[in-house]
Amino acid sequence: MGHGEKGRPSKKLKAAKEDDKTKFVDDEDAYYVGEADDDHRYGEKEGKKVDYSKLELKPDHSNRPLWACADGRIFLETFSSLYKQAYDFLIAIAEPVCRPESMHEYNLTPHSLYAAVSVGLETETIISVLNKLSKTKLPKEMIDFIHASTANYGKVKLVLKKNKYFIESPFAEVLKTLLRDEVIFKARIDAEGLHGNDGFTVSKAAGEVGTGHDELLNEAQLAATAEEKETHSFEIDPSQVENVKQRCLPNALNYPMLEEYDFRNDSVNPDLDMELKPHAQPRPYQEKSLSKMFGNGRARSGIIVLPCGAGKSLVGVSAACRIKKSCLCLATNAVSVDQWAFQFRLWSTVREDQICRFTSDSKERFRGNAGVVVTTYNMVAFGGKRSEESEKIIEEIRNREWGLLLMDEVHVVPAHMFRKVISITKSHCKLGLTATLVREDERITDLNFLIGPKLYEANWLDLVKGGFIANVQCAEVWCPMTKEFFAEYLKKENSKKKQALYVMNPNKFRACEFLIRFHEQQRGDKIIVFADNLFALQEYAHKLRKPMIYGATSHAERTKILLAFKTSRDVNTVFLSKVGDNSIDIPEANVIIQISSHAGSRRQEAQRLGRILRAKGKHQDRMAGGKEEYNAFFYSLVSTDTQEMYYSTKRQQFLIDQGYSFKVITSLPPPDTGADLSYSTKDEQIALLGKVLSARDDSVGLEHLEEDADDIALHKARRSMGSMSAFSGANGMVYMEYSTGRNKQGQLKSKPKDPTKRHHLFKRRYG
Amino acid sequence: MVNATKGLLITCDIPMAQFIINLNNSLPASQKFIIHILDGTHLFVQPHMAEMIRSAVAEFRDQNSYEKPA
Repeated sequence: MGHGEKGRPSKKLKAAKEDDKTKFVDDEDAYYVGEADDDHRYGEKEGKKVDYSKLELKPDHSNRPLWACADGRIFLETFSSLYKQAYDFLIAIAEPVCRPESMHEYNLTPHSLYAAVSVGLETETIISVLNKLSKTKLPKEMIDFIHASTANYGKVKLVLKKNKYFIESPFAEVLKTLLRDEVIFKARIDAEGLHGNDGFTVSKAAGEVGTGHDELLNEAQLAATAEEKETHSFEIDPSQVENVKQRCLPNALNYPMLEEYDFRNDSVNPDLDMELKPHAQPRPYQEKSLSKMFGNGRARSGIIVLPCGAGKSLVGVSAACRIKKSCLCLATNAVSVDQWAFQFRLWSTVREDQICRFTSDSKERFRGNAGVVVTTYNMVAFGGKRSEESEKIIEEIRNREWGLLLMDEVHVVPAHMFRKVISITKSHCKLGLTATLVREDERITDLNFLIGPKLYEANWLDLVKGGFIANVQCAEVWCPMTKEFFAEYLKKENSKKKQALYVMNPNKFRACEFLIRFHEQQRGDKIIVFADNLFALQEYAHKLRKPMIYGATSHAERTKILLAFKTSRDVNTVFLSKVGDNSIDIPEANVIIQISSHAGSRRQEAQRLGRILRAKGKHQDRMAGGKEEYNAFFYSLVSTDTQEMYYSTKRQQFLIDQGYSFKVITSLPPPDTGADLSYSTKDEQIALLGKVLSARDDSVGLEHLEEDADDIALHKARRSMGSMSAFSGANGMVYMEYSTGRNKQGQLKSKPKDPTKRHHLFKRRYG
Repeated sequence: MVNATKGLLITCDIPMAQFIINLNNSLPASQKFIIHILDGTHLFVQPHMAEMIRSAVAEFRDQNSYEKPA
C-alpha cells in the first residue's frame, strides 16, 4: 500500500515461464535494489531469463508474505505472521501447486478465479487484497488477467425449478450471446408459442403483472430474484445441462454459470427435520469449509477437499442439516454406504425412518415426503435391467427434486459411468467431497462443470500441526534385487513377469518381514500390508502366516478378519489387496507397508496413506515435541534398478506436493540381524524364484476389481508406458483386438460391393 | 606360458553386473565383449567397450527414474 499504481513495466515477466529456477532471486539482492526506490524503468531488453533482481520492493516488504509473478504464479512464505490470513485468501482464489513446509506455490487460473468469485469475492477485492499482501507491486498482467477472468461472472444463473432447468440472466443480451452457441441452442427447449423478447421467459418484479401463461413460474422465480427488476430465462434440456455448463466455462464462452440454491425460501420442496446433535463439534477447518459453501445464506455447489481422516463425513452431514431438504448421498460401495448411514445417525437428529440405504442387499424406502437416501454410484448409474423393487426406488430418485446431492470420493465421478448419475438425478445443490483431487488422466477439470468449483482445500501440514490428523513418517525402503532375480528380470522372455519378479524379490520380502516384526514386537503397532499383486499377496501372507483380504474374500470372512484385527492382541497384521484402498475402515492401524502398487497412481498412494491418517492417542502427545510426535508410519518397499523406482517416484508426487517428504532407507534388514528371517539362504531364494517363474502369466498380474472405475484410464496410461500388464493379456485385450479387427474388415469389404454382381437371391433384399 | 590380454576391469554392484552380462548375452557371438566374469561384482571386459556400456547403463537407469514434468 502507500504506493500508487506505478504499474510494473509490462515487459519483463513475460518469459517467466521459461525460467522457473530464477524466480527466487536471493532475497539479499532484492532487498538491496529495493532501496533504490526511484521510478526506475528497465525492460526493453527481451530475453528468456527474467531478471528479478531489480524488482521493486515495497518499503515494508518483510511484513508481507507474497510474491506475485506475472504468469499467474504466487509464492507464499509460510513463516510470515500473516500466513494464516494469506493462506485463507489464496486458497480461495488460486490453485495450490505445491505446499512444502516453508514456501507454498499457487497458480492463478481462470477456474480458480471463477471459484473465487462464486464464493462471493469481487474483482476489486481480489486485486486490492493481493496487492496488500504482495511484496512487490502487482504485475499489470496479473491485474488484467484477473479482470478478464472475472468480468463475466454472475451474469448467468442455472436454476432448477419444478424439475426443469432454466438459464436465467438479468441481461437479455447475454442470453442471446449464449444462444448463438450451437451447443446451447440445441439444448434449448422451446416453450409453446412465442412470447415477445425473442422467446425468453420474462419475469417482472412484484407489483407488475406477469404476462402470458407463465404466471405460475413467475411466482417461484420472483421469490428467488426479488432484488432484480427483470429476469430473462429459457429452459434447457436436462440431459444437456452438463454440456451447456461446459460451454459456459472460462475456456469457451466465458460466462461461468452460478448455481446457488436459496433453500430457505424454497417452499416447494418439503422440509426435512434434522439438526446437528450438540456433541457434533465441527473443527475450525470444517467450519471454514462450510462457511464457503453457505457464504451468503444460499447453498453453492462445489467441491470440498479434506485429507482422509479429517472428518469429511461431518462436513457432509452438517451441510445436509443446514439445507434441511431431501438429501441423496452417493458413496463408492456398499461398505461406505453403511458407514454414511451410520454417520448420519451419529451426528444428526434425523429419524430412523427418514434415512434409508439403497444397495443391492438392502432396499429400504423412507416414509414421508422428505428423507435421506444413501446409495452407490453404481446403483444409480446402472444401465441394465433391475429388479422390480429397485426399479421403483430408482424411479423415485429420478423424479424427486433433491435439495442436496452429496457425493463422496468425488474424484471417481468423471469416469464415464459416474457422470451419468449427475444427469439422472436432479438436485439444487451438489457437494463433492474428496481427499485427492488428482487423476492420472487429467480429467479432474471436468469436475468444474459437473459439480462446481473447488470451495475449500485444507492444507495437510496445517492439520498435522493442529493435531487433527496423524503425523506420518513416510519412508521409501530400497531393496536391492538379488543376483538371480535380477538376471531373470532382465531376460526378454520374462517381460510379462517383471512385476512378479520385483515384488517377490527376496530382499524385499525380508525387509517386509523385518518391519512387521519390529513394529509388532517393539512398538505394539497395528500393521496393514498392501499388495496389488495377488500372487505376491498370497505368497507373503502364507509364508508369514498372516490373514489376508482380497477381492474374492467373502463378506463374512472379511468381517471376521477385521474384527480380529481390531480386537485381538494376537492379530496385529493384515494383508490387503487394493480392495482396502478406500472402502475398508480400519481406524486402529497406524503402520502401512506397501509391497506392490498400481503402477504410477498418485491417488492410490494418497488414499493408502489416508488409511492411517486418522489421529489416535491424546491430543497433546501428538503435538510437535510431544512424546509421540510421529505416531504413524508409511513404508513403501521398492526394488532398486527396476521399473518400480519410476512408479514409486511418480506416485509420491501428490504427497510431496502436500508437503510430505519421503525418507530413503537403504539397509533393511540391518546386516547384523536377518539370519532368522525367511529366505536367508541362496537355496531358499532359488526355490522361490522357481516358483515365480513357473506360475502362470495371468496369475502374477494385477488384481482386477469390478468397481474400479478409474481403472480404464490407468490401463491406458500404463499401456503407453509399455508396462507389463498391458502385454500380459490378462485384461482380455488380445482377444478383443482380434475379434473387432475382423469384424471391421468384413464390413469394409462387403460395402463397396457392386450391387449388379450380387447373387440374385440377395438382390431383392438389398434392392 | 603366460597369456596377457589387455582389458578393462569393471567394478559395480550385483544388479548392474547382471545387467552387463545380460547385455553381453544379447549380442551375437562376434560382438561379445566380456572376457571373464570374475565374481558377482567384478567383470573383465574388452577395453574399447567402456563407452558403449556406459551409455547402455545410463539409458537403463533413465528408464527407471521419474522426472516431474515441468
